[in-house]
Amino acid sequence: MKAFSRKGSVIRARMSEFERTILASLVQQVAGLLEGDAAAAPSDPFAMWQAEMGAVDLDFDDPVLARLFPAAFADDEQASAEFRRLTAGRQRQERLSNAGRVLDDIENSDEDIVEIDAADCDAWLKTLTSVRLALAVRLGIEVAEDTSELDDLPEDDPRSFVYSVYEWLAYVCESLLGLGGQR
Amino acid sequence: MSETTVVPAGGTAIADRPIEELVAELPWVTIVWDDPVNLMSYVTHVFQTHFGYDKPKAHRLMMQVHTQGKAVVSSGSKEQMESDVDAMHSYGLWATMEQS
Repeated sequence: MKAFSRKGSVIRARMSEFERTILASLVQQVAGLLEGDAAAAPSDPFAMWQAEMGAVDLDFDDPVLARLFPAAFADDEQASAEFRRLTAGRQRQERLSNAGRVLDDIENSDEDIVEIDAADCDAWLKTLTSVRLALAVRLGIEVAEDTSELDDLPEDDPRSFVYSVYEWLAYVCESLLGLGGQR
Repeated sequence: MSETTVVPAGGTAIADRPIEELVAELPWVTIVWDDPVNLMSYVTHVFQTHFGYDKPKAHRLMMQVHTQGKAVVSSGSKEQMESDVDAMHSYGLWATMEQS
């Protein structure tokens, strides 16, 4: 049986408990990074109101957040900062909502079968991509040549496991994309 | 047109317009840059999904990003490009905008 299949509007993905645990943990880590200060003071009404209004106090010096919210202008830091100020709030909400859908699907899995509504395929792809971007930053993947070095890592290298997860997530993305006509 | 009407020369009219206004009318472009993380199939999917490009066009733009390091993927007003760059970022693609 194929790991991924589609019947009507339902995509079925076969994932072991180990895989589901790792994926859920990584998605939660990225979501935690996106929640930033809002998560630290959920009982503060003013902070909640700010979060709802889309105001964002994220640390864009963090290399992962810098990659998730890249500069919109190649040579204009001020315009890029203004662009982030205007877009980061809604982007963060959308990313958290996508992450929530992925986590729900994983939690509701029937043993090893994760059911994904085809309409949520982009939410999955975007979330998997955010996780891959975060892992790439941690693995130091900046140019294509960096991955050939990682391909040759000895098994006892601590990066070896992270890289294998990174590669597995690429396989999951390719499998979802390969189902075709998800929109 | 009656003979008494005084019509300014077209060249003069354009020269009198403030330079900022002319600059503001230049179309903007959205550029997607190559990165080693995003999958080729995914980038093609994003171009198809967001811009509504057919598969050959989306694939050609993806290959241009991959082989030349970047590609202009859309052009238009500043507001349109802000929206496109925002969308590319939400997909995790590395995009910038500039005046063409």
